[in-house]
Amino acid sequence: MSAARDDSGGWLRERLGWAPLTAALAAYRIPRGNIAFYLGGTTLFLLLVQVASGIMLTLYYKPDAAQAFRSVERITGEIEYGNLVHSFHVWSSDLFIACLFAHLFFVLVRRGFRAPHELSWLTGLMGLVLGVGLAFTGDILPWSQRAYTDARVGSEFAKYVPLVGTWLNRFLRGGDEVTSNTLVHAYGFHVAALPAALTLVVALHIFLLTRRSTPVPEEASRETIPLYPDFFVRQAAALTAVLVVIMTLAIFFERPLGIAADPRLSSPGGAMPPWYFLAIHQILRAAPTELLGIDGARFLVSAACLLGLLVAALPFIDRRGSKATAVLAWVLLFVLILLAASALN
Amino acid sequence: MGSNDEPEEVPRRDFLGMAVGGSAAAFAVAGGYPFLRFVDPPAQQPSGPVNIGKLEEFPVGSARTVVVDERPVLVIRTGDGFRAFSALCTHLQCVVAYSAERNQIECPCHRGIYSMDGRNIGGPPPRPLQELSVTVNTGSVIVSAV
Repeated sequence: MSAARDDSGGWLRERLGWAPLTAALAAYRIPRGNIAFYLGGTTLFLLLVQVASGIMLTLYYKPDAAQAFRSVERITGEIEYGNLVHSFHVWSSDLFIACLFAHLFFVLVRRGFRAPHELSWLTGLMGLVLGVGLAFTGDILPWSQRAYTDARVGSEFAKYVPLVGTWLNRFLRGGDEVTSNTLVHAYGFHVAALPAALTLVVALHIFLLTRRSTPVPEEASRETIPLYPDFFVRQAAALTAVLVVIMTLAIFFERPLGIAADPRLSSPGGAMPPWYFLAIHQILRAAPTELLGIDGARFLVSAACLLGLLVAALPFIDRRGSKATAVLAWVLLFVLILLAASALN
Repeated sequence: MGSNDEPEEVPRRDFLGMAVGGSAAAFAVAGGYPFLRFVDPPAQQPSGPVNIGKLEEFPVGSARTVVVDERPVLVIRTGDGFRAFSALCTHLQCVVAYSAERNQIECPCHRGIYSMDGRNIGGPPPRPLQELSVTVNTGSVIVSAV
């Protein structure tokens, strides 16, 4: 019996080319204790969780302004385990964005953007932009009053982006106004365009990582562990913990839908955008009407875009990865948290 | 005639590379332009004057938000007649509401305040509300863009 099982495993391993694969993975070494790698693995896992739960939701969701809210109500109220699947999808989306931010932040403070990792850094940032787009379009899909307000305010943010703002605003709305077209656009992007683009970017990101025998040359002298099995086992333990966290949040902290969107109703008081937009929301809320003769909001969003471009260009500006960059990253994080916290007050 | 006068030979591999690259660029332009035009939504044409209801549906001192050209419009009836404004706050486009208690128009999102003639008088809104014209024709209230 045992021999038959071994044979069967051997048969599969032989066809998968298991031995050379594990040998190649074992030869690839990861610096011990570098949290950025675990966060990267967790982010990828959360993306897969969202794809799986998202596919389940598409079985019942109706991307039509007249039916969307009711269909989500039906998912959460009438379909067996629908509330769990919906809540699981929403919470994993929040954790996905949080892990993506944290992954890039730790790469930044460890100055992992230095040569020869420029392209890994850029694909990581592209992943962040696409990931935020994925979360934002998903936020609109329930077509609740909150989703409607988010679609309005979010697309209005986009209007202030220099050069392409007006085009981006109309593109996001699917026209001049927030209408049923906006929902259809958001749905198309959420289930097709953005996941496809993100898959390509993530594949490229991982491919670039495997082009070196060790991903962080300057850390090679430090203690390292093989990718397989040591890192995989540790990552699997971390993912188990993440799954427990998502399940706990999904079961005990439901995400209320609110009421169906109605353009005739005034926006909810103290309306807040999704948490990852809180800092920029606070900047716009507090923006003076005019700054240096320019519309205040436009000035500040332009400044934020310029900061984003500088962060993207870091590998080419700070080639050696000075410690000042790491300090600035911590300061920036502190400011962003402060802004987000003040938005909540 | 020396060999210098003969045209320089392009290696076969380079020629094929240029041909493939050129074709790819041509396809990108030929496909890219229609793609960009396709994803750019057409401009919305205003529908003209819209009948929003009967006069008796708007008591003096009341306000109602109606949808005109898929935009929320705030219609207020005062003792002097009707006023209609785009109900989109000029700050971040939240939908504003009329407060009868304070006799002003308010944006609940970020506490923007407008006077009854649509002027921004408090909070973050940078501009007045856009005004629309209102007429009453044979007992019907008609709203149209100014």
